[in-house]
Amino acid sequence: MARENSAYWNPILETLPRERLQALQLKKFARIFEWAYTNSPFYRQLYKSAGIEPGDLKTLDDIRKVPKIDKGMLRDVQSRAPFPYGDILAVPLSQVTEFRQTSGTTGTPVYQADTWQDWEWWAECWAYILYAQGYRDTDRLFLPFGYNIFVAFWACHYGAEKLGCEVVPGGVLDTEARIMKMKELHCTAFGATPTYVLGMADTARKIGIDPRGIGIQRITCAGEPGASIPTTKQRIEDAWGAKVYDHIGATEIGAWSYSCTHQRGLHVNEAFFLVEIEDTETGEIIEEPGRNGKMVITAFDRIGKPCIRFDSKDVIRWADYSCECGRTFRIIDGGVVGRADDITKVKGVLLAPTAIEEVVRSFDELSDEYEVIVTKKGDIDDIALKIELKPGMEDLKESILARLKDELRVKTNLGYKIEVHPAGSLPRYEVKAKRFKDMRKH
Amino acid sequence: MERDYDLKGMDARIRELRKTAEEVRELAQGIEAVTRNADRLLASVKMMELNLCDLAEVAL
Repeated sequence: MARENSAYWNPILETLPRERLQALQLKKFARIFEWAYTNSPFYRQLYKSAGIEPGDLKTLDDIRKVPKIDKGMLRDVQSRAPFPYGDILAVPLSQVTEFRQTSGTTGTPVYQADTWQDWEWWAECWAYILYAQGYRDTDRLFLPFGYNIFVAFWACHYGAEKLGCEVVPGGVLDTEARIMKMKELHCTAFGATPTYVLGMADTARKIGIDPRGIGIQRITCAGEPGASIPTTKQRIEDAWGAKVYDHIGATEIGAWSYSCTHQRGLHVNEAFFLVEIEDTETGEIIEEPGRNGKMVITAFDRIGKPCIRFDSKDVIRWADYSCECGRTFRIIDGGVVGRADDITKVKGVLLAPTAIEEVVRSFDELSDEYEVIVTKKGDIDDIALKIELKPGMEDLKESILARLKDELRVKTNLGYKIEVHPAGSLPRYEVKAKRFKDMRKH
Repeated sequence: MERDYDLKGMDARIRELRKTAEEVRELAQGIEAVTRNADRLLASVKMMELNLCDLAEVAL
């Protein structure tokens, strides 16, 4: 007899008692470790050098003995033979059916190979996400991104198909055409970076379409932390009259985390991934809630180019609350709160760029765009914030700037040189925005 | 919630699906139209294994 389990894609795994879940994680970690050891020359060499082999992993604590990998190692390996992935693959090249690459935000792009099974797995991970966010087979989902070498929303497309949504690919259309197509087709949902979601709302208004009137009920964001920054999320929800959900994933990892309809933190899909949080200074594993550390992550079931204990540099923290949805998966609070290599010292103060975004987006008088530029004059750091006032706010400029400076000082402990630019003059982005520019590194 | 479902029953039938797909693949003797579709089928079977069978193998 069919059961009604409307809250979960997989009611068994998503509500598994912690003890069972951890037993499953250990079994799956040992399996992917053995797979990589046996089939990937790169991993075998790495593990042999560390003196660890299949059979050594008997407890979850044993996993800490497994060497980590990072993006630099992935870049190195692909620069070696055989072309184009080096010797990291754990399957013959003939089994690779998908090529994607990272965006190159932090350096040379990393090539990613996936088998068809891996691609099914990507879609499966996305099915967990979308189902938790209320997507059903009655949804018509518009995907306004360039279908190209970046994974972006590709797997979302296949995950949505898997759960029965009607998917509209908004590939090469420009922003205006995408908005008109969404309106014409009465789309119920779409997915994009927070930056582009806000930009689309702007464009809609410019062409005389109220985004709130299109009928969008839910928006899934990815690629940037915005949907987990309360003030940005609120802006998006106000602009579209829709619920906004976050998801975190990466080309080298997979789609590993998602907010559900309760919008409280992001659930880690612990049946498919192992997330460890490490103290950035000591490497100690952080189990307690509320303490920031960098994420080390394993994808249990990705076989073509395995991802085992990948030091992602993403800074996250465990939540000190549970979610009413009933999932037993652990929750991370506030999404990715920064990157270990982004959190930088300015004038001796640790600064996470997301803190600036949170303040800027809390000012209704400011447009959605801003830019932060850090420079060095002699030995002294200088930080400038470029903003746009919304039309009609010019008369209030001085009081707005005074409040903004105060708020920034409180939230980031820094004083900023604030530059006001004409509305619409700062760069707009379709995918990942580059609003934080540290010129001291150039 | 795990106990509300016939996990063992589903596990057994998913294993039968895998066995059947592998047998068809073998019988095809290299007919691409069969082997490639069998491979796709096996990838889907794998997703059911990840969703159910892996857990069935973990002792309570």
